[in-house]
Amino acid sequence: MKYVDCVAYLARRRSGQIVVTSAGNSAQAWWKATHDTEATFYLEASMSLSSMFAAGLALAQPQLKFWAFVGDGAFCMNPGMLMVERQMNLPNLTHFLLSNRVYGATSNAALPNLTDNDYAAIARGMGIERVFTFDSLAALESGFDAAVGANAGHTFVVLEVEPFTDAEQRLEQPPFDGPELKYRFGRHLEQRTGSDVFGYRL
Amino acid sequence: MAERGQEVAQRILDELARCGVKLIASLPDNWVMDVIGAAAADRRFVHVPVNREESAIGLCAGAYMGAMGSAALMGASGFMTVIYAITKINYSYEIPLLLLMTLRGAPGDHHKHHASNGLYLRPVLEAIDMPYQIIGRPDEIGMISTAYHHSRTVARPMAVLLTRGLLRGEAHP
Repeated sequence: MKYVDCVAYLARRRSGQIVVTSAGNSAQAWWKATHDTEATFYLEASMSLSSMFAAGLALAQPQLKFWAFVGDGAFCMNPGMLMVERQMNLPNLTHFLLSNRVYGATSNAALPNLTDNDYAAIARGMGIERVFTFDSLAALESGFDAAVGANAGHTFVVLEVEPFTDAEQRLEQPPFDGPELKYRFGRHLEQRTGSDVFGYRL
Repeated sequence: MAERGQEVAQRILDELARCGVKLIASLPDNWVMDVIGAAAADRRFVHVPVNREESAIGLCAGAYMGAMGSAALMGASGFMTVIYAITKINYSYEIPLLLLMTLRGAPGDHHKHHASNGLYLRPVLEAIDMPYQIIGRPDEIGMISTAYHHSRTVARPMAVLLTRGLLRGEAHP
């Protein structure tokens, strides 16, 4: 399925979830679909840590739902992230693995072992029970409620998508300076939860 | 001596609880095993053993953005693997972090494979302008809170380097 179509569909189905994006393409696609300036943390170039970042958030704010986008390039760098996720077993965390079989942020360079990597099998091998794979938009649309909408526990969703085209690679990146994003996101979370993120409230 | 090490571990955890730490993300180093064991058994904390040190950096950064106090606990060798994550996440977004680590490679560490940490750990901290505090005696454990709050004041990470003598219960008072 087309990467941007897949992410646009997820954006339409979002119902209050806080989102953490990974480097490059997922941030571009989510920004294109939402232009969200408050409830998304665009974690640029963390090289595999967006789901860990989201897990820390989900642990801290169990009453909110969190979506983490991870590219399979990032996943290849740190598949053990799933061991930590499984161990934490956070019911309010859904991990979307956007599998385009390339390092999308670096000119679609090929991933190691790209044709044989079975991300769903890896997740199951680490004990994750709620594992879903969608390789078409129609399948995602028909399976979304059971996989994601049910809020049935920690969930790992593999989305098999096409690499960005040359034109898509030129999609705008989220434009934030890091500190501005931190404060926008943190203040939004404070407003929604009454928490004190920064040690002083406005 | 083992009991003294456990006493020190308990005092470290008491200090972490005092400054509001809830999440402790750790990878082992033999010197901090008493602290890790005590943290895992202490209901004041959520202790998360992670797969690699970078995961601790990501977890703690997220916890901070969720208003939960946290600390990353690791060996010096583990710290040497997380420079990118710290500079990319904590520096770019100005996210505080309290990082507790062992002062490996210092005099008294008989492991030859830590000689590199003796040579490069502090120079690396200084190269990335990361403030640090060495704690070598039990009566200095209160500096953990100072480091935690300083990290939040400057919106950057701060490291606390724990000596072998402290963690083994050999330092006095």
